[in-house]
Amino acid sequence: MAINPVPDHVPPEMVRDFSLFTSPGMPPTPNGDPHAAVACAHDGPPIFYSPYNTQDGRGTWVITRAADQRKVLQDAQTFSSHRSIFSSVLGETWPTIPLELDPPAHGVFRSLLSPLLSPKRVTALEPAVRERAIALIDGITASGTSCDVMKDFAFPFTVGIFLRFLGLPDQGLDTFVGWAKNLLHGDDVERPVAARKIVAFIDELANNRRKDPVDDLMTFIVQAQVEGRRLTDDEVRGIGVLVFVAGLDTVAAAIGFDLAYLARNLKDQELLRSEPDRIVLATEELLRAYPPIQLIRVATKDIDFEGAPIRKGDYVSCATMIANRDPEEFESPNTVDLAREHNRHAAFGYGPHRCLGSHLARREIVIGLEEWLARLPTFRIKEGTAPITCGGHVFGIENLILDWS
Amino acid sequence: MRIIVHNAKCQGHARCSAQAPSIFTLDDEGYVLPGDINVAQGDELLASRAVRSCPERALEVDSPSAARFDPAAIQPKAGEA
Ligand code: HEM
Repeated sequence: MAINPVPDHVPPEMVRDFSLFTSPGMPPTPNGDPHAAVACAHDGPPIFYSPYNTQDGRGTWVITRAADQRKVLQDAQTFSSHRSIFSSVLGETWPTIPLELDPPAHGVFRSLLSPLLSPKRVTALEPAVRERAIALIDGITASGTSCDVMKDFAFPFTVGIFLRFLGLPDQGLDTFVGWAKNLLHGDDVERPVAARKIVAFIDELANNRRKDPVDDLMTFIVQAQVEGRRLTDDEVRGIGVLVFVAGLDTVAAAIGFDLAYLARNLKDQELLRSEPDRIVLATEELLRAYPPIQLIRVATKDIDFEGAPIRKGDYVSCATMIANRDPEEFESPNTVDLAREHNRHAAFGYGPHRCLGSHLARREIVIGLEEWLARLPTFRIKEGTAPITCGGHVFGIENLILDWS
Repeated sequence: MRIIVHNAKCQGHARCSAQAPSIFTLDDEGYVLPGDINVAQGDELLASRAVRSCPERALEVDSPSAARFDPAAIQPKAGEA
């Protein structure tokens, strides 16, 4: 891994030994709580420099305050999204779309995609989502009093919905989950291999849909027009790869962390089971407490931001898990309060890039929790097992063995 | 009960319609449609819950005395439909 010296313009007193990759609780940890572990970022200055804070070992400024993060995320001119996080794994520079485009090009592609993920669309998908949840859970309860939530429910549930959305058959599920896992949490050898497989897969899918159009997302993309022209091959690939990566792992991780919380907090579990009306609001609080993503921006010019001498080319990290534990934004930020209102959490980001899939993601989580709680009696972490959690660019939970015997 | 919609504050989180889809209509990007909303009597509890779920405080109940208290408190003295 690259060793990253602190750049000369960063005052030594602003450097902090903190990293979403290497700090305590970030590497795979049995019974870990990586979100609680990063809350310690608020014990120090509101902005500091972390010498090692990306997958490829780069340093970043770390913005801890929710209000400051919103400022960064709303100022796309100063803090650009064009940083090729995915393609740089392959030594390439094409952007994933719309994630790594800046306005105005960003808006063109965002408008193209947003009707596909609009609240209305999601409402239409809801019966299929619920049916899938019920089928999986009924299968689980029929075969015993214990299961691995990640393998048996969270991944097949969320990835299945997602594959359907992309127009792909279910058989690919295990392969795709494997690629995503290697891409997000693999080592320097596994990551490029996974990235190459995803790109090859998306390219081939696009070719197939050009030849034989069907009613799915990829067909829509290869036929779409922006500004009076068809999309280029790089654009089609940029969209396909993003949608693939964005939806594959995030919702599953959220469901995993949520059920782990409820397995350890039986009063809250019982509250949601007996009053399912509370699940919609509770889901927002769980998204606040256990969000999966760190956002990165690149400074396009020199700027002194809230006392930090940020220079052109510097990376700026807006970690949603840090903003969501900001004591200036949330009362008792480290307490999970399932009835919390006006909950301005940052799980889906902020500003022009705010998650396009948020309506779908939220429905999936709500429906997953509703059906899980309605169909299972009190569940706990199975004795003798320990869920393994990890930090990084996307926080995750590897296994979650629940028991309801 | 009437809900005042502050469209300039809306960021498209769509949490109001997640709580009360029949009361809050959104555009294709998840932003609430402009215009104040008259809430039917039976829907007041749900509507006030949705108002309080808005992270941007873009929704406001027009009868301030009722809005700040426990939702149960506004049920008995339901306002105009
Ligand atoms: C709990 C689950 C999810 C979380 C926490 C989440 C979080 C986020 C965040 C924080 C961003 C902003 C990134 C940035 O500003 O750099 C984002 C963008 C995006 N997400 Fe999600 N996401 C989730 C699920 C999904 C799903 C299921 C989909 C698609 C089906 C999706 C599609 C997208 C897209 C297309 C963007 C790019 C939007 C743009 O650049 O304008 N997300 N997501």
